[in-house]
Amino acid sequence: MVTSMPSWKGSFVGAALNRSRPCKGFTGAHHEHLVIAKLCFFMIRLENVSKMYGSEIPAVRDASFDVAKGEFVFLVGPSGSGKSTLLRLMNRQERPERGNVWVAGRNINEMANSQIPYLRRTMGNVFQDYKLLPNKTVFENVAFALEVIGKPKHIIAQQVPQVLELVGLSGKEDRFPHQLSGGEQQRVSIARAFVNRPLILLADEPTGNLDPATGEGIMALLDAINRTGTTIVMATHDHRVVNAMRRRVIQLDRGVIVRDQERGVYE
Amino acid sequence: MIQRISYAFRETIASFRRNMTLSVAAVITSAVSLLLVGATFLIQRAFDNLLVQWRGDVGMIVFVRPDASTEALSYIKQNLESQPNVIDVKKLVYLDKTQSFEEAKRVFAGDPTTLSLLSVDTIPSQFKVVPKTTDPTLVRSLADQYRTLPGVAGVSLAEDEFDVISTLSTFVRTVTIGMSLVLLSVAVILIWNTIRTAIFARRREIEVMKLVGATDWFIRVPFILEGLIQGLVGALVSCGGLWALNRAWTSGVAGFKAGTGVSSLVVPSGYVSGVMVALLIIGAVAGGVGSGVASSKFLDV
Repeated sequence: MVTSMPSWKGSFVGAALNRSRPCKGFTGAHHEHLVIAKLCFFMIRLENVSKMYGSEIPAVRDASFDVAKGEFVFLVGPSGSGKSTLLRLMNRQERPERGNVWVAGRNINEMANSQIPYLRRTMGNVFQDYKLLPNKTVFENVAFALEVIGKPKHIIAQQVPQVLELVGLSGKEDRFPHQLSGGEQQRVSIARAFVNRPLILLADEPTGNLDPATGEGIMALLDAINRTGTTIVMATHDHRVVNAMRRRVIQLDRGVIVRDQERGVYE
Repeated sequence: MIQRISYAFRETIASFRRNMTLSVAAVITSAVSLLLVGATFLIQRAFDNLLVQWRGDVGMIVFVRPDASTEALSYIKQNLESQPNVIDVKKLVYLDKTQSFEEAKRVFAGDPTTLSLLSVDTIPSQFKVVPKTTDPTLVRSLADQYRTLPGVAGVSLAEDEFDVISTLSTFVRTVTIGMSLVLLSVAVILIWNTIRTAIFARRREIEVMKLVGATDWFIRVPFILEGLIQGLVGALVSCGGLWALNRAWTSGVAGFKAGTGVSSLVVPSGYVSGVMVALLIIGAVAGGVGSGVASSKFLDV
């Protein structure tokens, strides 16, 4: 299936060699676009994105920002400020009313529905409530992600133990989710998101249900994953993790970006 | 590929187990409705056998003795054609012995004894007459004119033979078609509902599948397969029922006295197998379509 989209992979591999800082001041003119695309590569780009729920209230208003390959970005703000909506716009669970969302060099709003599964194979998702399947073991939960995209058995048998070791769950392969602590469940969820080695990891309040110490462990794990070159966008309102990590912070207030700061804190 | 197929079947069977009650209900309903559909076909065919010689508004049949001379035959023909006021001459049909024998095979389908006594040489040929009038007394007096002509073996009138049967046939057809249509829709709705329940039961799984990039068809196929199998199993059950029903009917008819006409209500087994194949197809299509529509409607997570 992946072989059916060589252009996608190609654009990524070529661009991945380039610098990993976001390019500010991008104007968007077509010829310039081509030039700049050679200089820097945006894993995710939002151009004047607005998303309405119902007809009145905008969940996101005129949001524009770029996320470079390998970046770690926090989306912060109170509940209902539009953090989750932004994440859902990035994997096309939602489509914006206005503006464009680019992922790995492609405008995902213009993508055919039939292409969306392949887009999502380049992204992992982690949630506050883990979204594990209760009737499957740890191993099966992670293997499931590979199974449903048609990966052969021997690949699954090889990759799942690897990723479980990475998240520190070796030896717990046969446990069921209800036999694990919250932190362990979140690790399974991260393993599932990462087992396919995605370009991007989208995390929605991954520490929201965890005590501070456990949350720190999860952040350390996400940091390790980020160091492998995976771009991470994480929505959170957990001051501690943001302040401890000192990464880029995009702050939202009622759907509007009010701050975009390198090495920021929560405030 | 093999892995995907085995995945689809595993999921289908697991889902079938999870929704046992609903699945069984869907299977039973489709079985009953398809049995009715099948029975409609058979009843229709049985009545058709009975009525085949009267097809096309034929009101009167003049049977000509197999040993009648050519002159006698042409005299009868001329006589029939000379009455354009009472007889629709354009629709006048003559069945020679071979054609009459072919027809007899259907009329006496359930009466092999009588059929074995007939042969192409001993069977009467026949004129099928479409009268222009519906007045029974006129038709009757017309019949009387021909009974006495040389070479005529006998004259049959439609109203004597099949008025009741014809009315009955129409009534039974309407009722059974109506009922089987209603039941078939119920079966489709039940299958649809089973699939909806199955999708609901697995909504978390489906959500995860979508997020990790499973294609829509990958998610959909097990559900479609489930509906298709429900329809198909229902059809299989109905085929068994139809077979048993036809067998009981055939042996029951054999008990009637020969020559009462009831014997032609027997349906040849070749036709029954044809109906069974049709039922299997209808069942599979109804199940597949019901679940296909349900899965595309409810899978938009």
